[in-house]
Amino acid sequence: MNNSNANSNWSSAREIVPRWSVGLSGLANLMVLLIAVFAVWWVFFSAAGIFKLYTPLLGFSLVIWTLLIILWQVELFDFWPFRRSFLQDVHPLAKGAVFTAITIALYLILVIGIVFYVIGQFGVTYFNWQSLVRYGEIGQDVLSTRETASWAMLSLSVPFFLISTWFMFGIGDNLFPELKQPKRGFAMFGLIATISIILYAIFFHPHIGSMFYPKQIYVAVPPWWQGIAHTTSSEFSLGILFCAVVSIFFAFHLWDGFPFNFVQKQPWRFVFFAVVSLVLGYMIFQLQLFVFDYLWGEAYIGANNEMNFGWRYGHTVTMANFVLVIAIIQNAFFGQAYTKLPGILRGIAKTIVAIAGGLLFAWAYYSWGPTLFGVVKGVSHPSENAAALLIMIINLLLIQDYFMDGWPGYKLKK
Amino acid sequence: MKRRDFLKGVALTGAGIAMSGGVGLLSKAQAQGGKEDFGEVKSVKVHCISETSWFDNATLGADIKKAGGINTNQYDVAYTKENLGGFAALVEVEALDGKKTKYLLDTGWNNEWMDYVFAKDGIDKMLKNKDIKTLIISHDHIDHYFGLESTLRHQPDIRIFFPGTSMKKSFDLLKGADFSKTPGCPKNNVPHKGELIVTKTDKLYKLQEGAALVFFDAPATLQCRGENVMYCKVKNKGYVTITGCCHPGVVTLFNHSRRNFKDGDKNYGCYGGLHISVFENWDPKFDDLIQGVKALKMTKIACNHCTGWIWAEKAVQAGLPIVHGTSKNLSYKKTGTLAKSKTSNVYIGNGDDVFFG
Repeated sequence: MNNSNANSNWSSAREIVPRWSVGLSGLANLMVLLIAVFAVWWVFFSAAGIFKLYTPLLGFSLVIWTLLIILWQVELFDFWPFRRSFLQDVHPLAKGAVFTAITIALYLILVIGIVFYVIGQFGVTYFNWQSLVRYGEIGQDVLSTRETASWAMLSLSVPFFLISTWFMFGIGDNLFPELKQPKRGFAMFGLIATISIILYAIFFHPHIGSMFYPKQIYVAVPPWWQGIAHTTSSEFSLGILFCAVVSIFFAFHLWDGFPFNFVQKQPWRFVFFAVVSLVLGYMIFQLQLFVFDYLWGEAYIGANNEMNFGWRYGHTVTMANFVLVIAIIQNAFFGQAYTKLPGILRGIAKTIVAIAGGLLFAWAYYSWGPTLFGVVKGVSHPSENAAALLIMIINLLLIQDYFMDGWPGYKLKK
Repeated sequence: MKRRDFLKGVALTGAGIAMSGGVGLLSKAQAQGGKEDFGEVKSVKVHCISETSWFDNATLGADIKKAGGINTNQYDVAYTKENLGGFAALVEVEALDGKKTKYLLDTGWNNEWMDYVFAKDGIDKMLKNKDIKTLIISHDHIDHYFGLESTLRHQPDIRIFFPGTSMKKSFDLLKGADFSKTPGCPKNNVPHKGELIVTKTDKLYKLQEGAALVFFDAPATLQCRGENVMYCKVKNKGYVTITGCCHPGVVTLFNHSRRNFKDGDKNYGCYGGLHISVFENWDPKFDDLIQGVKALKMTKIACNHCTGWIWAEKAVQAGLPIVHGTSKNLSYKKTGTLAKSKTSNVYIGNGDDVFFG
């Protein structure tokens, strides 16, 4: 992601060039990506695979946290503790293996270790499905509690995602210019975590407090957004905040950073970045709801599936991610084909391709997903969430781009 | 301006189709601007033959989790056999002239249990004597369909309404397939020889004057899809829905009748599983559902099975007209762990009746 306005780290400084023509290099990468997507999905996620992690929420929470960890390694910690010489000289496959292993290790330490085992066993029951079974009464069986705990982890990731993107791309190294890695990374992470936990408490904790019988009203207020959202589900918050994150990625992958690069001077850049991302995110969120209303009629309280307010809010995230996956593929694999176009035209062309490609991808997924990925049929299935696969694809795209310099189609310009 | 109106002018059809995956179409009746009128009945009585599809949630949950979770194909899960029961109900429709017709809704799961409850209620004799001539399979889920042999043994040529979206293996079971190699999966030694009506979306199947069947292509767990729902219009009272699991959602069912049936805004009541807090798990969305059902202004809500005791209990607290059951279920040779715990009688349990009339 080109975030040169705010950062001078490795991901902004490096230059990668196509090994062959742009078209051939892009196609080669696309092939490798497709192979990786099917292999990882069928081994780790599919209900017919080996590890069966797509429950669906367990798999969803896993991919979103690993995505965050990848971004933190690259943008917050600038690949610390590895030196530039390592990043420059080591073969992309070796680098990819090392950084992917670190990502998995960090996931195990941070999410499974700290959140699941430490906090879930000694602090907040709902972060650990075994704790829910141990202390819970009626209804707290492992099939349900695993989803409850996964939903809690997923919910926790959303404010972390939003605040991380604001800090990584809206502030970059402007906040602690005097600090070197890893001090800078830890200082930024500390701020991100502080703000994210506050947002989590406000926007998601009330939902989770209402996931039990009786409602845990002494530890979580009942969902306060009910009057605005027509639902007590925090999918409302999830939809808006996640669409805000997606808007930032859209801007960098489709519009060369526009409009976020309008303001350069801090702290106004950060304020502008945050406000514009929320406005754009809300627009993406609301526009999709308009489309859903047109297609299915207006949602109503207490309805199921596609007529349910909460499901529709969540589906805005899924659909935005269908477009985002295509936007990233287009930019990372074929982006250099657009360089000759003037800026505005380039943005428009990339946006049209991303939206058309994203919708085509969505249609293909819902048509052939059961055969290709072993997922269940239907758009609004209660135990299906395409966003899990989509974020897994984004993970693989970022691993290929950040960790492997776009190997095999691309290589580092030395 | 309403969101729908706003968009009508600007929406791209292609974008729309991709975003929806091509689902969510209006019913034909509504598209044609007309409303279905399938007559009226004097009363409906539903007898709960069995609503205990399984006896312990944790055991079934563990079986499903072990097989890969809730998205696994239902024929690939190894179930703990002693935990299995089944869902079935006897629906007795009284026509305006007083003539009564019996329908069997679903045929349960574990044959041993189904044979027991059928014998206890005389369903076996009714089938043999052809007092019951129609079996309605709400959907081909484990607990509503796997016990098929228990019905066919007594009447192989019974007329069956069967969801068109059922799995291929479920169609094979009708013909006499054997899947019992996997524990808890079915076999059928008595191939079906009678009329088979495969139900499809957007068509109303009139069972008799005042009673009809509507098929909804709704998603369900364990790779199942679709559900047949029975609607009865009780004279001077309104519509009653009778469901196996109600996967489309009870609010959706009454929204369907409001939009598609004559006098469709008259909601009288419902019977069956309402598929809410199935494993007694909870989600704030289920609180929304209580508000949604409240707005329907029903007179009688008779629920059990996959409704979730927690939802029914909360619905009572919210003032919904939940019909309470008796304790007959405790006299059965097996009772669910939920019934044994300190729960109130918010379910229409095994052996209970509910009368709409």
